[in-house]
Amino acid sequence: MSFVGRRLLQLVPVAVGVTIVVFFMIHLIPGDPALTILGIHATPKSIAILRHEWGLNRPLISQYWLFLDRLLHGNLGQSLIYNVPASTLILQRLPATIWLIVYAAVIAILISVPLAMIAATRKDGIRDQVVRAVPLLGLGMPTFWVGFLLLTLFGANLRWFPVGGYGTGLVGHLHYMFLPALTVAIALAPVVIRSLRASMLTVLGADYITTARSKGVPGLRLFVRHVLRNAVIPAITVLGINIGFLIGGTVIIENVFAIPGIGQLMINSIFQRDFPVVQGVTLVFAVMVVLVNLLADMTYASLDPRVSFDR
Amino acid sequence: MTYRTHALKALTAIVALVLMAGCGSGSTGGTSTGGNAGAPVHGGNLVFAAVQDAQSMNATTVFDNNSIWILEQIFQPLYTVTNNGKGEMPWLATGYKISANKKVYTFTLRPGVKFSNGKPMTSADVKFSIDQNRKAAKGWAYLDTAIKSVQDPTPGTVVINLKYPWAPILADLSLFANGIVPNNYGGQTEAQFYTHPIGTGPFKWDYWHKGSALKLVRNPFYWQKGKPYLNSVTWTDVPNQNTRELQLKGSQAQIDQTPAWSTVASLKSTQSVKMDLFNSTQTNYLAFNELRKPFQDVHVRRAISLAIDRNALVKAVLFGNGKPANSLFPPQVPFYDPSTPGYQFNLAAAKKQMAQSSVPHGFSTTLLIAAGNSDYLTIGTILQAELKPLGIKVNIQQLDPNTANADEQSLKYDMTLTLWTMDIPDPDELATFAVDPTSGARSFFTAYNNPLVVKDTHLAEKTLNTAKRQQLYNVVQTGAAQDAFMAFLYYSPYPYATTSNVHGFYVTPLGNMHMENVWLSK
Repeated sequence: MSFVGRRLLQLVPVAVGVTIVVFFMIHLIPGDPALTILGIHATPKSIAILRHEWGLNRPLISQYWLFLDRLLHGNLGQSLIYNVPASTLILQRLPATIWLIVYAAVIAILISVPLAMIAATRKDGIRDQVVRAVPLLGLGMPTFWVGFLLLTLFGANLRWFPVGGYGTGLVGHLHYMFLPALTVAIALAPVVIRSLRASMLTVLGADYITTARSKGVPGLRLFVRHVLRNAVIPAITVLGINIGFLIGGTVIIENVFAIPGIGQLMINSIFQRDFPVVQGVTLVFAVMVVLVNLLADMTYASLDPRVSFDR
Repeated sequence: MTYRTHALKALTAIVALVLMAGCGSGSTGGTSTGGNAGAPVHGGNLVFAAVQDAQSMNATTVFDNNSIWILEQIFQPLYTVTNNGKGEMPWLATGYKISANKKVYTFTLRPGVKFSNGKPMTSADVKFSIDQNRKAAKGWAYLDTAIKSVQDPTPGTVVINLKYPWAPILADLSLFANGIVPNNYGGQTEAQFYTHPIGTGPFKWDYWHKGSALKLVRNPFYWQKGKPYLNSVTWTDVPNQNTRELQLKGSQAQIDQTPAWSTVASLKSTQSVKMDLFNSTQTNYLAFNELRKPFQDVHVRRAISLAIDRNALVKAVLFGNGKPANSLFPPQVPFYDPSTPGYQFNLAAAKKQMAQSSVPHGFSTTLLIAAGNSDYLTIGTILQAELKPLGIKVNIQQLDPNTANADEQSLKYDMTLTLWTMDIPDPDELATFAVDPTSGARSFFTAYNNPLVVKDTHLAEKTLNTAKRQQLYNVVQTGAAQDAFMAFLYYSPYPYATTSNVHGFYVTPLGNMHMENVWLSK
């Protein structure tokens, strides 16, 4: 079986493990979704009616088997709060989160590569010091604070960008999602820059670079075909790991920028004890993390022909 | 070296692209020009930045305020709340007659009312709607328990038969849950109907992208001629209050729901913004669990009530935008008694009460609050300091909101912070909820039981004479205050910020908004 096939097969035990852990954790913590719906108007009778409707009065194991059975038929269950299929809610919200992550990764790369290049080609010089120090500000500042700074300046004051939201259509998404993606990229970039700079320094000192330079290979071509291609591999690993963390960590950015993504859906569902949605979103998160890591490994292999994961 | 040059050029190009993308993508909203109000202008699309998304449009079962304030634009009841929140005015009915025994109300329906699909509203629709609410056992049915039956003798007349004379009947009928829907849901199932609901209200359904935005558009068949003025209203889900404020200032939204108290002063002085504090029925309380010692001791409860500086709470939490509470009832509720002797700050009197109590040297206790509620944390911190002179050591326990709610409702707490807002313009719902231990709420989850107060609460429900009702509710308010079953903390307004081109926006003390009166100036 190919490497990709093996990795995709790994999704199955990961997903099952995740469903077991999440199912029992969310059901065992105190709190009742019926109380969320009914609030202070809850009476024992109305709570009992709702719990019976939702099947929450059944034994936990029985509820889990029902969930697993439905999952095998592609059914994630019904949202207790919205009374629509959990999968509908997740599919509606997933694109916004994917947009945020991909857009942030692209901006992070666009920022990181030139800055790493500047730093690596003038090691220990003033430019190198600035490139290494300034992005750390982004790493040190809380992301919600960076987000508000950008929203205040570019959204409310200059009105170059909308203040939050997701927009419609490709141009709308590019416009609305720029500031949130930039906020995330500012947090991602320092790590990527440092990793890229370090590996560029290593590659720049290699004999084949000296040879290529002495053979008259032009600067940009030398950089793209020989330096960057070899230097970027460790950075991809770093980026892949950070994106994996980001998948579960989008909630803060989604909250600040009012993005209807699955991070915000997850948090609201936990607070409201909307069990089917929590289980569904967690499953999606687990799949996404595995896929991102797989993508990182495949990119690795495509850039470095020495790397092969197939036996 | 060449690499640096290329890198610098690349960076420059990226920055230029960013600037072009930002500048070239059109404005993010209109500028607020403010200016004179003048006559209402038709047109415009208003964006309402809401604290959270709605949950459901099913008026008979939903309890979430954000859902309610939206569906009230679609469904309308026979009577609605007056602007001062203290009474009811004709809405889909124009008047009523009452029988001699006070148990039969005959309502005349307003002629010419149509649903948003163009079909005329008749008494059959009214009968169906009220009967549906009466059947909603997990919903608002409890407010219609006095109704025995509903009849539709003619298309323009509805007869409501009561089991007994019931003073709050008009107030109960003004509840959104008694809003009128098409008979038999127009042939759909209940679940299908509420995905695209149809009503007689000023706006009709457009779409709901859950977690993002819910949009209603103008109802062309609306019965108030010339209204609504707006083409549409879109409620966007913007949970972060800082983001809502920025959207308002950037004119991306025209209404900011519940701006932070700390920003009220600055919003008032912001040129393009109107900051309104509407009278509300919201009252905050400190509840005592009388099933746990020493809170069964009235002297302990009184001592704590007397030790609380409510002005300090108003200043710290509301930034001065509120007033100390003296009664279980807020001032905007009918039959509120301003002379109710609710305990106010008096440390000497508090110490005297403690000296008479079962724990004169003090005790340790826990204050349960919902995690993430910064206002409650501020109150809790102030209470810790204010109760210390009485020898009372308060530990603040922060739990996830759902868990805190569950613990409160199962009386697994010592003290907790809670609040109330009215759903109907009558004190009956609050009084029964708060003081009757046999109600589902077990006296606001405190286990408080004063038989005289309970008796007068139930008498007042069936007393139609206004003066007598006032007397009965005076006894209820005084009794509740003297028993100090809860410490009445403060009354707070509803804060709303709008762009200065929004006119006609008003929120009743019950939280209702008549968006048909709202218009945008150019």
